[in-house]
Amino acid sequence: MEHMDTEGEGLAISPLQGSLSRRTLVKRAAVAGLAVPMVGSFIASCGSDDETSTTGGGDTTGGSETTAAGGSETTAASGGTEGGTIKVGTFKPAGPLDPIAQADLGTYNVVSQSFECLLGPEGDGVGPALATEWVANEDSTEWTFTLREGVKWHDGTDFTADDVVATFERIVAVGDSIGGSISAGATTAVDPLTVKVVMNGPNASFPYLVSLFNPQTAITPAAYEAGTTLDGSPNGTGPWKLESYDPNAGAKFVRNEDWWGGKTPLDALEMIFFTDQASENTAQSSGATDVIQSFAVVGGDALLADENQNVVDVQAATHREVWFGCDEGNFTDVKVRQAMALSINRDEIVETLFSGKASVANDHVMFDLYPFHDPDAVEQRAQDIEQAKALLAEAGFADGLSTTLNAVDLGEVPQLAELIQSMAKEAGFDITLNVESTDTFYGTQWCVTYPCAGSAEFGIVDYGHRPVPDVYLLKAFKGGGDWNSSQYASADLDAAIVEYQSSAEEDARKVASGKIQTIMWNDVPAMIPYRYNGLAAYSKKFTGVQFTALGHTIVSAASQA
Amino acid sequence: MTKYIVKRVLLSLVTLWLLVTIVFLMSWALPSDPARAILGPFADEKLVEDFRETFGLNDGFLEQYFRLLKGLVTFDFGLSYGTKQPVWDVLAPTLWRTAKLATLAMIITTPISIFAGLIAAKFRDRRLDRGIVLTGLATSSIPEFVTGTLLAVVFGVKLGWFKAVAIIPEGTPPLEQLNYLFLPAMALAIVYFGYIARMMRAGTIQAMDSDYTRTAAMKGLSSSQVMRKHVLRNAMAPTITVMSVQIGYLVSGIVGVEVVFNYPGFSQALLIAVKQKDLPVLQVAVIISALVYMVATLTADLIIAWLNPRIRLEMGN
Repeated sequence: MEHMDTEGEGLAISPLQGSLSRRTLVKRAAVAGLAVPMVGSFIASCGSDDETSTTGGGDTTGGSETTAAGGSETTAASGGTEGGTIKVGTFKPAGPLDPIAQADLGTYNVVSQSFECLLGPEGDGVGPALATEWVANEDSTEWTFTLREGVKWHDGTDFTADDVVATFERIVAVGDSIGGSISAGATTAVDPLTVKVVMNGPNASFPYLVSLFNPQTAITPAAYEAGTTLDGSPNGTGPWKLESYDPNAGAKFVRNEDWWGGKTPLDALEMIFFTDQASENTAQSSGATDVIQSFAVVGGDALLADENQNVVDVQAATHREVWFGCDEGNFTDVKVRQAMALSINRDEIVETLFSGKASVANDHVMFDLYPFHDPDAVEQRAQDIEQAKALLAEAGFADGLSTTLNAVDLGEVPQLAELIQSMAKEAGFDITLNVESTDTFYGTQWCVTYPCAGSAEFGIVDYGHRPVPDVYLLKAFKGGGDWNSSQYASADLDAAIVEYQSSAEEDARKVASGKIQTIMWNDVPAMIPYRYNGLAAYSKKFTGVQFTALGHTIVSAASQA
Repeated sequence: MTKYIVKRVLLSLVTLWLLVTIVFLMSWALPSDPARAILGPFADEKLVEDFRETFGLNDGFLEQYFRLLKGLVTFDFGLSYGTKQPVWDVLAPTLWRTAKLATLAMIITTPISIFAGLIAAKFRDRRLDRGIVLTGLATSSIPEFVTGTLLAVVFGVKLGWFKAVAIIPEGTPPLEQLNYLFLPAMALAIVYFGYIARMMRAGTIQAMDSDYTRTAAMKGLSSSQVMRKHVLRNAMAPTITVMSVQIGYLVSGIVGVEVVFNYPGFSQALLIAVKQKDLPVLQVAVIISALVYMVATLTADLIIAWLNPRIRLEMGN
């Protein structure tokens, strides 16, 4: 099986200010002449159908090239043949094709073929899509977006600033507020092609929050009502027009002849829905599909070893959070939390669960794949049973501590729980396991009431990829966050988050990130033992297929090889 | 006979009402919230609340129940929670697909199973009989999704003789669709072979051992005439009954095969409705399943009556 070479070049436009510089254009043209770089990452969406189980030690001798995380190259396909249809195997949408309410991989992948965001994936970060330029004021409390000229909706009407204003107002009205960053009335049309957005507070990451990596910010027409679905009212600005949709079978798209990005080499895109990973793998192996949006190491041996497949293996920020109840119960003492964090062997966990296709993490969400990660802020936590025992004894649990670990039955999470149980036993933790299905876990063990309260004192929950950690910080760890199952409240962390979001320059963000890393590492509101990769593949009959961190399959530049 | 049919239809309506009520009560008893189940645990509360309002989930028990009954009676099944499409638009294509697969499976298995049962009865207690019985036991013991997986891997992926997944491209001619449906149909046929062959064998043996068969033979009829005019008609009754139950199962119970071959049929749609707590789809799917069983068993009874005049008389009385 041939590996895909990736240049990993820094073609990313700084998210802080966006425009197509000449330097970027030249670089992009050069890369287009090479073998198609497959920069993609993959994720299971938060809390919904995570079918990317990577449990166990499958044989991965085929391997694949690890690429940079986060984005995808938007160059045209190199030397392919025009025409034809590509068949993409993807997860069955778990909900309606509602751009605002979409919450799972399958829905993201379908909706994003027609609806676009202001920014799209590019290189290691984000780049122009419906917006061509974006600039912040001095303290990142206001962002101004210049919209792309000449864009048309599929129904022939013009895309204007009014559509963006209406979309953002609609998002705020249903309660999302784009990660808490804006309020009603914050978005205004300066002119038909310019939009100004006033932040609730300094926010240097806002461009990411209105990119494809925050799918709920897909721009819809001004006249769209909340609750409208793509299949109910087909429209969009994207390269593909929805022709037919069967929620149980698949979706068919045809080329948008008026797409701003030019004529797609392929005539049509057919998405075929799957509910079972094994049958999806079989379909890809047998040629029934040309692209498989995701597959796991375990069960994916045939694909990994298949010489007719191009396999994409990309790092992502997808992770599992092992939260501790910090407000009441056994884990209120930080020494107990630190003891638990010291009792696990992270390298062994990564090897056992992912055959090495994951990265050890360090109990914070400022992962090493983010450019502002400070590698010197804290040392990598390693297993130290003796220190764990000592800390437990200091905390008054010299004879050990009994607790229940509640885990969602999703992917490799039950196996992670078993590993924690057996590893922590050496340090004196007597852990009983309670694994619950996704149908009941989120309502009984995690965030029982909204905003988050009533969670179990010790549990494992899943988090999907984000190109920036803002959502993790604001929702899961900031005091009062909607997903703060630890009930963690730290004024220092909250202040560090504000500092991070206000920092426009990379150096300043790195300093703030270092503070966040240090606080989370010391306080351990949650153990985060790893972040894991994603796998996707496409047939060598095609070229130019791209994937994103959130499971999007981008075939606007794909062609037959 | 007409009275019998009318009585069966009326009883069926009562059964359907009971089924709908049971499903509705169970959905109330279930702990999780359909809105959260559809939108996911990370959705904003306002979005969830809007969803509940849109679908009337905040209404009282009786209000929701009578709205459900009214909708069923007026054939206004409402919108699917999961897709916001009309329920019938969600289920109709799946029903058609399952009907195709079920029909093919029955076409393959019925003649082979009946023939095997007859042969087994004719050569009762001999090697051929034992071989057929053991084969039937073995095939009906293995779950159809296991058989399906084996068929898909061997004949689909390795040998490439048939399509390994039943993803039929739009516009595929009917004959070519057989290429896609053959392996899943075989997976089902292999399992049902056991049930039908053994039932046929038992019915045939009983008919062959009966007085009227002995009398017919002693009257001088040839063995083929005896088989055709006396044995078969009586032997078919239990077999037809078993087949009618299998037809009902083929519509709503073959989710394993549908998943293995990624065939978006009715069973999968039903399972997804259960998992997603998509109650409008679930309720209509349950009714359709029940209707299929009822129609299949009523049809079976009528066929048996047509074959056997004594039963016809009993129905008339």
